[in-house]
This record gives sequence, structure tokens and C-alpha cells, in this order.
Amino acid sequence: MAGPRTAPHSPSPGPGTDPATVSDAVSDAENAPATGPGTADADSKNAIGSTGPTAPVSGGPGAPDGTAGGLTASRGAAGGQAVLRWGIRAASLPAAAGLWQVLTAADARLWLRFDRLPTLGEIAERFGAQLTTSLYYLDLLQSLIRILTGFGLAAVAGIATGILVARSRRAGDVLLPLLEAVRPIPAIALVPIAILLFPTDEQGIVFITFTAAFFPVTVSTRHAVRALPTIWEEAVRTLGGTRRHVLWNVVLPGILPGVFGGLSVGMGVAWICVISAEMISGEFGVGYRTWHAYTVVDYPGVIVGMITIGVLGWLTSAAIELIGRRATGWLPRAEGSRR
Amino acid sequence: MTSVAESAAGRTGAGGTVVDGARREDIVGGAGGAGLAFRLERAGLGYGRDAVLREVELEVAPGEVLVVVGASGSGKSTLLRALAGLLPPSEGRILAGGREVTGPSADRAMVFQDDGLLPWRSVRRNVELPLRIRGVARSERGRAAQEWIEKVGLAGFARHLPRELSGGMRQRVQLARALVGAPRAVLMDEPFGALDAQTRAEMQRLLLEVLRETSATVVFVTHDVEEALLLADRVAVLGRTGVRAVLDVPVGDEARTNLRERILEEL
Repeated sequence: MAGPRTAPHSPSPGPGTDPATVSDAVSDAENAPATGPGTADADSKNAIGSTGPTAPVSGGPGAPDGTAGGLTASRGAAGGQAVLRWGIRAASLPAAAGLWQVLTAADARLWLRFDRLPTLGEIAERFGAQLTTSLYYLDLLQSLIRILTGFGLAAVAGIATGILVARSRRAGDVLLPLLEAVRPIPAIALVPIAILLFPTDEQGIVFITFTAAFFPVTVSTRHAVRALPTIWEEAVRTLGGTRRHVLWNVVLPGILPGVFGGLSVGMGVAWICVISAEMISGEFGVGYRTWHAYTVVDYPGVIVGMITIGVLGWLTSAAIELIGRRATGWLPRAEGSRR
Repeated sequence: MTSVAESAAGRTGAGGTVVDGARREDIVGGAGGAGLAFRLERAGLGYGRDAVLREVELEVAPGEVLVVVGASGSGKSTLLRALAGLLPPSEGRILAGGREVTGPSADRAMVFQDDGLLPWRSVRRNVELPLRIRGVARSERGRAAQEWIEKVGLAGFARHLPRELSGGMRQRVQLARALVGAPRAVLMDEPFGALDAQTRAEMQRLLLEVLRETSATVVFVTHDVEEALLLADRVAVLGRTGVRAVLDVPVGDEARTNLRERILEEL
């Protein structure tokens, strides 16, 4: 038979997108591999299916033509609201910084003792100075190497362990009691053990980081495996697939959405632990440098360290978020937010 | 009443393969061939004491289309899952091509009601899956997949993800995926049950068309008697106590009307 006969009769795949539009959008996207996320391709047809509010031609998501005008009007009002909200959001951080500046410049002592804290100017000056030293980058690199090593190992081991305990009853019987016994111990409480166990501080810190990230990844993987619909596994098995095929073609891709949740949490606690461990036993690293600044009464240096840690944490979390979105592009998403 | 083999030949004859009575016996005996024969011997299907079906006796001839009708909860899907090897019988045995069924096999492809496609794989990669599992070379499986995608009317949709397709289109993909590996039996579990009436009618036409090209045995589960009469060589009626009747589908409107009444009575 010729041509997709279902197209005119069957329900469209999603609100506001008839199959033909989807077809155009997808093939266009595929024909333009250079187009990354966020780079709008002005003349391409794919603008119609995906941009929603800025493309009135499309008639809005699923809206019959008659109501399109009304929707546009209400969008105008909503637009004003949105501008206001963005204004408030943009002002919130400078306002807090301004408050800090007022309190520290005035050496305020309102039970909380702001007179000991540096002003914005002092912090900026210190930050500028630090950015020109190679030590700053050495610390940064050291912390990044530690976290990426510990977190990377935890991701691999956590996913493997999570799958193992969820898919094999025997492995679950052996490992689950162990995991449940160790899990409640905060990784940072393992610092003495790490110092005793490992020949160098470096390995100890990586070990702490690993332990911190390992459990969230394992637990989320285990739950993701158990939440997999059985129909996918059955489909692969009735097509001749073995357990190995099920693992590679169903389990691993199917658990990714859940696993990335665990990786995000794991990255967060990994940072907490790497910084704490560096403060206790490091010789380099952002955490060590921040604590060191405190002990030599370099308070602007402490704030510079804090900001650095915050930026690093945000960057690594954003990286995971981005990779996660890429890897789970097949998930249904809200209208207008295509991968 | 016509024999099983004759009614089976009614369909396969159009495709060129005539299954006559004598050959059918051979195949049931385990000699192999294009379509897979099934035999359930006093099979109990379901879990523990509350077996859904007990002492099921049923024979499916190679190459025929057997449609199983029954009310919801009568164990239609259970029966199908047992034939697929997804559910081992609690008693008795199930034979496919003369050999006892111990697990799923590529010989017995299954089409599920919905959501049987892997959502992270494009249409083409879903259709290719059985060939990939079998280790078919990339170029060969791409060619075969494309051929089947065109046969089910989805040319131009090969790179779409399942979520970008309508329900009817997804079932087309499932059909292509089930048939691309040339299985000896296709087990279909209410594949059109979730579709609107018009799409369902189209899918039924497509199925009849596609089945003409294969000599695979088809076991098709539905609760829709009209669908059964349209597709089947024979209809098995499933009641609370098991298989209540297996009826040949005759040619001619009057005979079909009688059969419809007979089926509704048995249900």
C-alpha cells in the first residue's frame, strides 16, 4: 500500500502538531546537523511546530482557528506579567548584594557581626588578584580532578550495582543488606577511615567523594530498573532477545531518566564531601584554600573560595542536566520545549 | 463443517502456499515448515491456585488465522502469553511445531496492544531490532526494515520516534517489527483495541493484505466479534471455564450471521 493512510484519520501525535508538521520539523532538524540547541534557524519550517508563542501562524497548541485571536490577547497580558517577573528575578540578586554592601561597609553589629566580613569592593579586589595567580587555577584543577574521578567511578559502580541488585535476586540478597547498612553513614564521617586506609590523602579524598555519590546513583538506578514497564522486556524477548539483549536494549536506555536524577543528587553531595575532605586533609584544592584563607585571617579570600565552589558546583550540575536532556530526548516533553 | 486445513488454505492459497490436509499432519508432527502449529494439552494457565484457565485443549493449524474471542477477564491474553512462552503453564503442556514451549523465541513474534515499541528508538531502529538481535549485517537489516516500513505505509516516517506517531501508526510499526524477521507465528494481543473505529478498519485491511504475503500462523486475540469474523479462518471462543468452542468461519453472509449469533451465545 502506498502512503501513510492513517494520517488523515488518526489522532495527531501531540497537541497542535499534525503528522505532516511533525514530519517536516523532524526531517528539517535532521537535515541541518549544524543547528545546535538554541540556535534558531530563521527560514526553516521547523520553527512552526516548536516555537509556539512567537509563531502565531501555527494557530497555537491545538487551538481551533476560531479561538486563536482570544488566545493571542490573553498571551499579551501574560507577556506583561512575564516581563514583571523577569524584572523581579533580575533585581533580586543585586538587591541582596547591596544589602551585604550596606551592612559590611557600615560595620553593622546587629547581634550578627557584619563588621568582620569584607565589603564587595574587598572581595572583588581579592578575586581579581587571585585570578592572576597560578595557584588559584591549580587549586581549581585539583578539586575538579578529585570530583570527576570520584564521581565518575561512583557513576559507573552505582549504575552497575543498582542494575545488579534489581535484576538478580541472588546479588540483591548478598548486596542489599550491606548497602543498607553503610548507606546511612554520611560519607564525610568516613574521613578517619579514609586516612587510615589509603596511602595518600589524595586517594582518601577521592574515596570519600566516591562514597558520597555512589549511594544516590545506586538507589535511583535500582528504583529505575524496578519501575521499567515489563512490556519492553517482553517485546525484546519475543523477538528472540536474550537477557543480554534486554540489558543493552531495554534496561540501560530505559533507566536513563531515573539514573540522571541520581547523578544530579550525587554530584551535589560529591561537592559537599570533596570540599569538606579538602578542608580536613588536603594540601591543595578549593576547599583547602578556603579554609586556609580563614586560618590566616584572609576573609575576602574565604568569600572568593565560596564563590568559586558555587560556580564549580553550578557548572557541573548544569553539565549533567544538559547531558541528561540529550540522552533522554525520547521522553515526552511539554509543548514548545523540544530537545 | 469444513476442516481446519481447508479454511487455512483459503487464505494461504492466495499467497501461493496451499496447505493440504496430509501435509498439515506432517507439520503438526514436528517436521517444521513455514507456519508453526500449536497444541495445548490439558494446559493450566495463570498463577497458583487461582489459575485463569484450566485444562485447555486447543490446536492451531500451521498457516491459519485463529482469532480468540472472549470477554475481558476470560484469559485471552494469558493464553497468548503462554503461546509466546512468556508464561509457563502451571500444568499440562504447550507444543509449538511439535516441541514443548519453554520460553520466548524469535519464531513466535508478538504484537502488543500498545506501547510495545521501544520509545527511545526511531521507527527504523525499532523495526530493525529483531534482525539486530539475530546479528544480521547493518546494510541488510536497513534494507529489510525499509521494505517493511513501506509495506505498512510508513514511508517517510522511518526516523520518527514512537511518541511522534499516532496510535494507529505505532501499531503499523509493531506489525512491521513482528514480521520483518519472518517468524513462523505471529501472536497479536488486541493490537487494534485502543484505536478508533476508522483506524481500526484500516488496520484490519492492512493486516489482511500483509498476511497474504506470509505463511505464518496467526493467533489474534480480540473482544470484538466482528473483527474475529473479518480476520479469522477459525474462531476460538473463550469463556470462564476455558475454550468453549472452536468454530470455522464460513463464506457467505447468512452463514456468518449464524456464526455471529453462535459466538455471542457461547460468550
